[in-house]
Amino acid sequence: MSEVKIRNLHKSYGSVDVLKDNNLIVENGAFVVLVGPSGCGKSTLLRCIAGLEPISSGTITIGGKTVNDLPPAQREIAMVFQSYALYPHMDVYGNMAFGLKFAKTPRPEIDARVAEAARILQLEPLLKRRPRELSGGQRQRVAIGRAIVRKPQVFLFDEPLSNLDAALRINTRVEIAKLHKMLAATIVYVTHDQVEAMTLADKIVVMNKGRIEQTGKPLDLYYKPANLFVAGFIGSPAMNFLAATVKDGKTLELADSQHLNVPLPAASKPGDQVTLGCRPEHMRLGGDGTLALKGTVDIIERLGETGFAHIRMATGQTIIAEVRGDPGTSPGASATLSLAPAQLHLFDASGQRLG
Amino acid sequence: MRRNISAIAVHGILGLYTLLALFPILLVIFNSFKTKNAIFGAPLTLPTPSTFSLVGYNRVFGDSAVGSYYVNSIAVTAGTIFFTLLFGAMAAWALTEYRFRWNTLLALFFSIGIMVPIRLGSVAIIQLVVSLNLINTRTALILVYTAQNLPLSIFILSEFIAQIPKDLREAARCDGLSEYNIFFHIVLPLIRPAMATVAVFTMIPVWNDLWFPLLLAPTGGKQTITLGIQQFLGQYITDWNAVLAALSTAIIPVLLLYVVFSRQLIRGLTSGAVK
Amino acid sequence: MSSPHSAIVGMGRATYLRLLVFFLAPAAIVYTVFSIYPLLATIFNSLYLYHSETKSYDYVGLGNFTTLLTDTTWSVPFWNAFRNNLVFFAIHMSVQNPIGLALAAMLSLPRLRLRATYRTLIFMPTMLSVVIIGFVWQLILSPLWGIAKLFLQTFGLGFLFAPWLGQEGSALITISLISVWQFVGIPMILIYTALLAIPEELIDAATVDGLNQFQAFVWVKLPLILPTIGLVSILTFVNNFNAFDLIYAMKGALAGPNFSADIMGTLFYRTFFGNQLQLGNASMGSTIATMMFIIILIGVMTYLFVIQRRMQRYSF
Repeated sequence: MSEVKIRNLHKSYGSVDVLKDNNLIVENGAFVVLVGPSGCGKSTLLRCIAGLEPISSGTITIGGKTVNDLPPAQREIAMVFQSYALYPHMDVYGNMAFGLKFAKTPRPEIDARVAEAARILQLEPLLKRRPRELSGGQRQRVAIGRAIVRKPQVFLFDEPLSNLDAALRINTRVEIAKLHKMLAATIVYVTHDQVEAMTLADKIVVMNKGRIEQTGKPLDLYYKPANLFVAGFIGSPAMNFLAATVKDGKTLELADSQHLNVPLPAASKPGDQVTLGCRPEHMRLGGDGTLALKGTVDIIERLGETGFAHIRMATGQTIIAEVRGDPGTSPGASATLSLAPAQLHLFDASGQRLG
Repeated sequence: MRRNISAIAVHGILGLYTLLALFPILLVIFNSFKTKNAIFGAPLTLPTPSTFSLVGYNRVFGDSAVGSYYVNSIAVTAGTIFFTLLFGAMAAWALTEYRFRWNTLLALFFSIGIMVPIRLGSVAIIQLVVSLNLINTRTALILVYTAQNLPLSIFILSEFIAQIPKDLREAARCDGLSEYNIFFHIVLPLIRPAMATVAVFTMIPVWNDLWFPLLLAPTGGKQTITLGIQQFLGQYITDWNAVLAALSTAIIPVLLLYVVFSRQLIRGLTSGAVK
Repeated sequence: MSSPHSAIVGMGRATYLRLLVFFLAPAAIVYTVFSIYPLLATIFNSLYLYHSETKSYDYVGLGNFTTLLTDTTWSVPFWNAFRNNLVFFAIHMSVQNPIGLALAAMLSLPRLRLRATYRTLIFMPTMLSVVIIGFVWQLILSPLWGIAKLFLQTFGLGFLFAPWLGQEGSALITISLISVWQFVGIPMILIYTALLAIPEELIDAATVDGLNQFQAFVWVKLPLILPTIGLVSILTFVNNFNAFDLIYAMKGALAGPNFSADIMGTLFYRTFFGNQLQLGNASMGSTIATMMFIIILIGVMTYLFVIQRRMQRYSF
């Protein structure tokens, strides 16, 4: 069974800790996406799994075998690199067969495996071409093909779509999703693009500053972010945050002295500092004013049917709300924003989710 | 209109300078194919059927060991290029790819040789070559030239190796290649253009050098063509046909090689030395 | 560097060391034995005096240097060679490098036709052996053949002709100019490449600002290629103070007439090997080589720590 288990993984360069106490289980056949801002350690974690970076402490097991001290080739992994890393001096066949040749795989077996991968990826007409004669999307497929022929326990993808243009990226994303189903493969996939993460993953791992902030199903992360970082990272445009103080059991006072009646967890005491979060798509211009914020319209960005209104509060903070159709207002006008009570998020002073 | 005039002026100056650069060389080559009377009587004309003569070349190839000097030069140059490229690429790979305590220091150690001319150590080089019993051998020249050219070769090749994407080397590691195989099967094929540059870069000074052949292999038939021609010129100083033919014999192969490799050479000059 | 064992996962320390030795040892050994060791040994040699009668070495500290700089037998030729070498260098700096700069500036003009042809042909003499070039010019300047005289006469300047190479006052200058002629290609190519690296938009911007081609060159391009000019200067310095072949080929080890073309390289050769006038002297040869080493080192250090430090490098 090709399960990946990471326990207490720690990695440092000199005095700089790049990965701090990471714990993660990638179940057999799961598609796990590591996501986070650049420099968060997601690629380093992937490279540690691959064996391209030594780890400082902790254990990595793949398929029940501890691989800490095994070189990449003995870990039964295959990696698809961001730049594809195709050998420019070999043709497509040569690229796919290269690793197998060095593993002393018999020639007929190599041919069979390459033919199979080429069939799956529709690379058959391209086998004699050099990488430079291929388009970006074709190179991408060769890179995946090179991974497939190794029949690895785990596929590792390092930002594989970031060098493709927007249209091709969506196509390839769908292809990768299909491939995952077809091969029933275990995949660990790194990206900084939350759309890729949301659409591909069985399980998303959000990382920040070398730590795993939250692990969970895509929609769980969206609806129940565990902390301010995840709340702000997942979703676009980002969730709005408002600093607030608990007034009593059901009232919050915002920085500009507006009061909001929201359901508060039983444990909160008057005077607690909290952060109120609400996604732009869960706000609406106008409304009855029971759960509403007042401000001034700054600008309205129209994207077509939907758009975003930037509303400036008395504190100077700008709140972004999604608008549909004609917002019926214009910059400079005063505005009321209604919030959906079920879609509010509360975080305590340390940034952890309340309730 | 003004643009036209200045363009003509620029072409005029460049054309004149080109003539100045080529004139002495062409003069010698043309006159080497003439009779002695024509050399002195009409030095500025091309050889005509009536003034054409190969008497100088007969002298050069008949009376001396020019043929074997060519062989020596080719062997020394080829040997030097081979070891400079192989050892240089190996060291450049290790210095760029692997982390170890003395890495920076070792790179610095190699870079001494870029700025300090190895000639200054000639006294000790001779003593060393004598004690190794390598005097008047091509081996001695190859070893010294390899030592002389390694620093720049390592420097240039390192820059090229550093440009090979990290992903590529790691893909090879995932593919199960040993570090040795990564070097020989991935790195070497990929830096071929850079190696061609270094080869041309190494070839010219080695082929043209007078100093070390004079010091290390001045006699015994192991002279290089440059030294051989120099010695030949000393002997036949008054035989103008022979002198001109000998000079042309030394010039023409280099010019042919230059025409073939000038692109590599100029790329080498520009990629390696400027940084 | 943090990794105590290896940067490669799953490789033991011994295997890693073997790997490093495999890749580094050949270059390190050849380079150390045939380049660094001889340099050090030469410096070391210069601290000893060799007695040919007893075949023994005596440690004399800086004694050889004192002899070289003060004993007139040695100091007169030494200072003569040093002065000549400075002249040799000065001529290269004031003739070769400006011509190289001018040629490079012309070659880098936009929309110039035949650019590659000019570049290749002008660089051609640089390819040839100094020995050959020296001899070619010796023939051309020879009164016997009379090519140079014929040329001057064509322009009505025949009276200017003199056997320049044979005269004490002009031999060094003539040889220097021949060397300039041969090596002008090097500054030309280096500066040319630096000029090509300057983005065309910068010159367009200068044109929009009202500068003409020449002004744009002086005020925009020249400041940007100063680092290259610094590099060209130090290369010229090192090559000049290490020169030997041309003078040996044209004038022999005696660098005559009357040592008027003697430079450090020929002095070193003559001292070490001896000649018609004196016996070879390894100790003094080493001492002169060490002096050359010191001179070159001073030049390189000045370049690295003074010139290069102050120069701003730009990347585009």
